[in-house]
Amino acid sequence: MRVEIADNGAFGSALVHLRPGEEFVSEGGSMFRASSNVDIDVTTRTRGSGGVMSGIKRMMGGEHFFFSKYSVTDGQDAQVGLAPRLQGQVALIKCDGMTRWLCAGGSYLGSGADLAIDTQFQGLRGALSGESLFFLAVQGAGPLIVNAFGKITPLDIQGELTIDTGHVVAFQESLEYSIGKAGGSWVSSFLTSEGLVMHFKGHGRVYVQSHNPSEFGKTLGPLLPKRN
Amino acid sequence: MKHDIVGNPDYGQLRVYLDPGDRFIAEGGSMAWMGSSIQSKARMLGGVGKALFRKVTGGESLFVGEYFTDRGGEVAFSPAQPGTVMRRTMNGDSFMLTAGAFMACTPGIELATKFGGARSIFSGEGLFLLQCSGSGELFFNSYGSILEKEVDGSFIVDTSHVVAWEPSLSYSIQGMGGIKSTLLSGEGLVMNFSGNGTIYLQTRTMPGLASWLTPFAK
Repeated sequence: MRVEIADNGAFGSALVHLRPGEEFVSEGGSMFRASSNVDIDVTTRTRGSGGVMSGIKRMMGGEHFFFSKYSVTDGQDAQVGLAPRLQGQVALIKCDGMTRWLCAGGSYLGSGADLAIDTQFQGLRGALSGESLFFLAVQGAGPLIVNAFGKITPLDIQGELTIDTGHVVAFQESLEYSIGKAGGSWVSSFLTSEGLVMHFKGHGRVYVQSHNPSEFGKTLGPLLPKRN
Repeated sequence: MKHDIVGNPDYGQLRVYLDPGDRFIAEGGSMAWMGSSIQSKARMLGGVGKALFRKVTGGESLFVGEYFTDRGGEVAFSPAQPGTVMRRTMNGDSFMLTAGAFMACTPGIELATKFGGARSIFSGEGLFLLQCSGSGELFFNSYGSILEKEVDGSFIVDTSHVVAWEPSLSYSIQGMGGIKSTLLSGEGLVMNFSGNGTIYLQTRTMPGLASWLTPFAK
């Protein structure tokens, strides 16, 4: 299994090369090209995670109910091309099986079928803020593909770092993290619409995106015609 | 006449240097700036009937702009959406563009609207096509970057990601996987291309962006 990242400017995409017997999973609807020996199946689960409930949790997080699962139908090599909906870069994370990765819900594009994926909500604070704060916990060894809104940058944390939740793409669970407000009281945080931040501590890698998708949506959304 | 494409793959733009007597045709609304020596007029490509038919079916502007000069000068064209601009030199062959991919051409190019076939109605993605033929330079654009793929055998593409292809390729429209996958996977219908030739794919789609944005509308 090999993942190629194409044209990684404002419109990155990924091309996954599969050998016979290998399988790959993606966010529903993200396939844009495939060799003719690829079969697709829909699943609410990946290895080790659970059923209809996980699909419902994904929907509450603004994701598709289903993952798409790709397999090779013959003895030949196969290719699947994946692209996100928003513009921005795509990055490959090679999970080594030592530490789990947590991937922000809207940043997941695809992963090797051997990786176990579980949906995690981040408690009441996420719900109160109106931001859908949920992460996909990715465990095992294999490729994980993430997409960003804008440019994607890896940051290696040694010590402490605070990042706006809307800019977090994925991070290693070797980092301690807590979700809180940017500063001051909850009231001032609400009034300045600074939203939620994540405080990271320890050693590990975080991928951040240069732009915040929900801020973009909140800027452009009110300019659209009213929904009926 | 000289052409220059700048800003690819993200924000492609076409710049054309016209010599006296040159004429150039571009999609209505795409002119970004031009020198004071450039003149333009609106024109209906191929006459009223053909242009109307194209407007109704192909999604391209009813009017195109025709640009000319008696002193020489520069005119720049930008597509409505960010992405890649590509050039294809035509030598009496033909080329297929999906609705919306046409950007500009020199006067020797003929545009004809083709219906993508009865089955394309069900794709919900408006698969109407422009068949380009003749001789000259043709410019087309995408939303997102363009990936070129040489097909030898068969190849599957999501309908909304197709920008253009060489007519040596034939295609059929089908579901992806079984009925369950077609309905639930979010992939919808796909085009299965076969034969030998090049196909041009865009890495994003406008409907994809719209569906992402819809929940933010008040």
